Amino acid sequence: MKCSRCKQLACVSLPSHHSGFCAECYPIFFTRQVETAIRREKMFTHDERILVALSGGKDSLSLMLELAFQGYDVTGLHIDLGIPGSSEKARAKVENFCTAHGLSLQVLEMEKEGLPIPDIKEHVKRPVCSVCGRIKRHHFNRIALEGGYDALATGHNLDDEVARLFANTLRWDTAYLSDQGPVLPARQGFTRKVKPLFRLSEFETANYAFLKDIEIHSDPCPYASGASFTSHKELWGELEHRSPGQKFQFYQGFLKNGKPAFAAREQEIGEPLAPCIECGSPTSAGTCSVCRIKAAVRESKAKAAEA
Amino acid sequence: MITIHLEPDNEVIELHGTKTVLAVLNRLKLRSTMAIVARDGQLLTPDRRLNPGETLMVRKVTSAG
Ligand code: SF4
Ligand SMILES: [Zn+2]
Ligand SMILES: [Zn+2]
Repeated sequence: MKCSRCKQLACVSLPSHHSGFCAECYPIFFTRQVETAIRREKMFTHDERILVALSGGKDSLSLMLELAFQGYDVTGLHIDLGIPGSSEKARAKVENFCTAHGLSLQVLEMEKEGLPIPDIKEHVKRPVCSVCGRIKRHHFNRIALEGGYDALATGHNLDDEVARLFANTLRWDTAYLSDQGPVLPARQGFTRKVKPLFRLSEFETANYAFLKDIEIHSDPCPYASGASFTSHKELWGELEHRSPGQKFQFYQGFLKNGKPAFAAREQEIGEPLAPCIECGSPTSAGTCSVCRIKAAVRESKAKAAEA
Repeated sequence: MITIHLEPDNEVIELHGTKTVLAVLNRLKLRSTMAIVARDGQLLTPDRRLNPGETLMVRKVTSAG
């Protein structure tokens, strides 16, 4: 196969784009896709300050590198979850990566926040991943707001977005369907959230990460289950194989035709938000879920100490 | 014989009679956009031919999360 740009031997084949690229031209393709995403969705400008959530995976590190390359004012934020045998490695990769590329990084330690993830696993009955996800989103949002950032960028790619949309659709979860998308504008208590990689598949970011020599954190979290999510991705991989481009069409179609309808409905039936009485984060439940989790862990620990 | 280093599983697999990258992916039951394949640090498209005795890195791209 030949490169669609320069006709040399290609190293990446992209059926959904009917094209292939060599190692020199592939990053140009990648850059164009990210530029298009930022421009068309009006994500942010070169005058704004962007906080980038860095897990240590290929997507978040690729995003950070690419935004810095495009001249955006980016700062990384890594959350050290305090999971023995896993979090130290992820953190070290993020730190080494940022040092190697001269990128600024902030690290939040859940241990110091009094809520390391192993405590949640031990003391909270709900699935650890849903709680962990909530806690991460809570702190990313809080730090973006407190630090005066204009937007919070995450490395979600097209496969993540489609898998999530698919799961939300299977449940007809109108609340989630009303605001899933590449941009979530800032509103009371929430920073603007953007996903500049939403046009790129997992395969496309993996190729970019490889060509850019990004050392990725690929040891799975010991608590990971992710089974249904992964099986949805496989299902979509199969559909995409049969008709290349279908994934992107499904997602774009949702943004254009599905989302507005759900948003209108949510306006009617959605619950209003107010600041959490303990921490001030927006919530529809008086005390926000993170403060409730903290209280539950505290209680359970106290009980365990008595016994 | 082709030697495969499968990531992130960290497994080594030996395959016989596979002459192209596509054949390797088929044997591993992977679609071409579900894994990246490299030989000597260079990415390969599925149509590339392989020679006996070569070693490949096959990295699955799906992340749970
Ligand atoms: S797999 Fe679950 S517990 Fe582990 S980091 Fe991800 S969300 Fe948190
Ligand atoms: Zn080229
Ligand atoms: Zn709270």
